[in-house]
Amino acid sequence: MPRIVREAAVDWKGSTARGAGVVEAASSGAFALPVTLASRVAGPEGKTSPEELLAAAHAACFVTSLGSELARAGTPPVRMHVHCRVTMDEVEGKGHLIVASAITTRGVVPGADRASFAQAAEAADAGCPFSSLIKASATVTIDATLESEGGR
Amino acid sequence: MADRIGHVTWRGPLVEGSGTIDGVGSGAFGPLDVTWASRAEDPNGRTSPEELLAAAHAACFSMALAHALAQAGTPAAKLETSATVTFVPGTGITKVALTVRGTVPGLDEAGFREKAEDAKVGCPVSRALAAVDEITLEASL
Repeated sequence: MPRIVREAAVDWKGSTARGAGVVEAASSGAFALPVTLASRVAGPEGKTSPEELLAAAHAACFVTSLGSELARAGTPPVRMHVHCRVTMDEVEGKGHLIVASAITTRGVVPGADRASFAQAAEAADAGCPFSSLIKASATVTIDATLESEGGR
Repeated sequence: MADRIGHVTWRGPLVEGSGTIDGVGSGAFGPLDVTWASRAEDPNGRTSPEELLAAAHAACFSMALAHALAQAGTPAAKLETSATVTFVPGTGITKVALTVRGTVPGLDEAGFREKAEDAKVGCPVSRALAAVDEITLEASL
């Protein structure tokens, strides 16, 4: 079984509240982005945050699992769109926790019906490594809608 | 409470098809291409869920550590953190290795390691990833 290793780096200067960091995709070089505490807990103002990176990671992980499940069911997708919303909240007695990751997906899948698409989405949630992991603190929800070809 | 959003579109089958991280709620990045090959083989300039996870964890850990150091009266001048995520297809995400080098006036190595260990345990991303078999930390000044 191949081991896949991916790396990222952060340079942070100063305190959390008044300082700032840069988060960089060290394996691919695909991005280098500023992060601050304010952009994490208040309005993002064009800056990313750990939770937004998690939302992108979860969406990208889930979409590959869903594609695999649909192919396995004999109905490979033409197109899938996944939207992921990650919520961090202060939980009494536990501090800040990532409490939810809500996936909404729409797919153009010839040969699939509403039930088989929903079933594939549930199986994708069970099979997506990211979904399994984040369940240590977050509730993962899946909302799957089938679209007709040439639809929205 | 803070909500953060990511969008991805995928076209075609897993191995031959390709995806795009269309964008994120903040507008800070995207579109970024993702493919199965760039995830499972060489990245070739493309990101992957594991790299995004590494970025999220490194950023979260850095903030938690900077906060703890400031609260202890020894704020960091600079923290350089890297996170390496290992993914085994079929098994899952098996390991995250955190490495941090800090410039912290007034703090010794043992004190820094202790704060770094607390940040590793306490940061929200670490707690969300509590099911990962192995989260390691190397901390030095």
